[in-house]
Amino acid sequence: MQNAKDTFYVTLRNRLATLNPNRTMLLRGVQRPGILVEEAEAVVPMLPADVFVLRWTALTADVNLPLVLARLDCEILYTTGGTQPASGLDRGRALEEMDAELLSLLSPNCAPKMNYTQTPPVQLNTPVFWSAADFTPVTTLRDRLSRSARVTVFAYQEPGEL
Amino acid sequence: MSADLSVRNYSPIAQRAADTLLRSLGGFSVSLQIPAVSAGGDAAEIGITTQTYQQLPLSPAIFRRVRIPLSEGAPEKYELMISASAIEAQVGALQLTSADALFAQAAGVSVNGKFFLIEAIAAPEAFGQAYLYRLQLREALPQDI
Repeated sequence: MQNAKDTFYVTLRNRLATLNPNRTMLLRGVQRPGILVEEAEAVVPMLPADVFVLRWTALTADVNLPLVLARLDCEILYTTGGTQPASGLDRGRALEEMDAELLSLLSPNCAPKMNYTQTPPVQLNTPVFWSAADFTPVTTLRDRLSRSARVTVFAYQEPGEL
Repeated sequence: MSADLSVRNYSPIAQRAADTLLRSLGGFSVSLQIPAVSAGGDAAEIGITTQTYQQLPLSPAIFRRVRIPLSEGAPEKYELMISASAIEAQVGALQLTSADALFAQAAGVSVNGKFFLIEAIAAPEAFGQAYLYRLQLREALPQDI
């Protein structure tokens, strides 16, 4: 399952770097595309603004197949307060921009599964594929607008794979 | 953060008074954990590469429990008050733009060898300058070695 999670994240990150090179963040001293895996970063009291945060939640497995099919639920959270030059009055537009970006990041909805524990990464035999995004209503907290989208990621467990 | 919007000229008296109070009430030394080496690439972003941290000593500081825990198993909360001059010294040494940038990089605080996560930060001001930093901390859960 870890390979599927890693592949999903790296695919979205690479697509974001191409789609919007300006959406970047400085995290642990490194400038990188504005997307992160929550469980692979330090615990923070508040989610960073203007970046996509991937949170892995539910896991189910279909064992009645030649290969076990894992279903992993991924919650993609994002929040924005708009831009400073516009005094935050463009926060609605900024959120809409992130909605559109996320839709683009998730399409096409498949990628070859990779094993990133090896250097260079090794391509495995099966793909990772995912459902369409299920968006939640906007949550408003003071000057911040937040939304999340739930995506179900599917991956076959290959023999010998963790 | 509370802001002092007065138009009086800046005077370091509040900062010095805060430092004196912190020293007289204990004057602990604590360490802020920040990433030592900038780790980039796939492995660092998906949690494969081990991140190394450096300890930034901050003194004087006061550390105390915020409240007695009421629920079983809930992590205890603590409050840490740190001298603004100590924070300013580290901000200058690391060539950062502000204390916010320093705390944004921090993974947590180490007090007497025990690790705590930062939950909230407040900086009361006098003459438009922070004289103290108040950090709300939560005990980090035990981790596998």
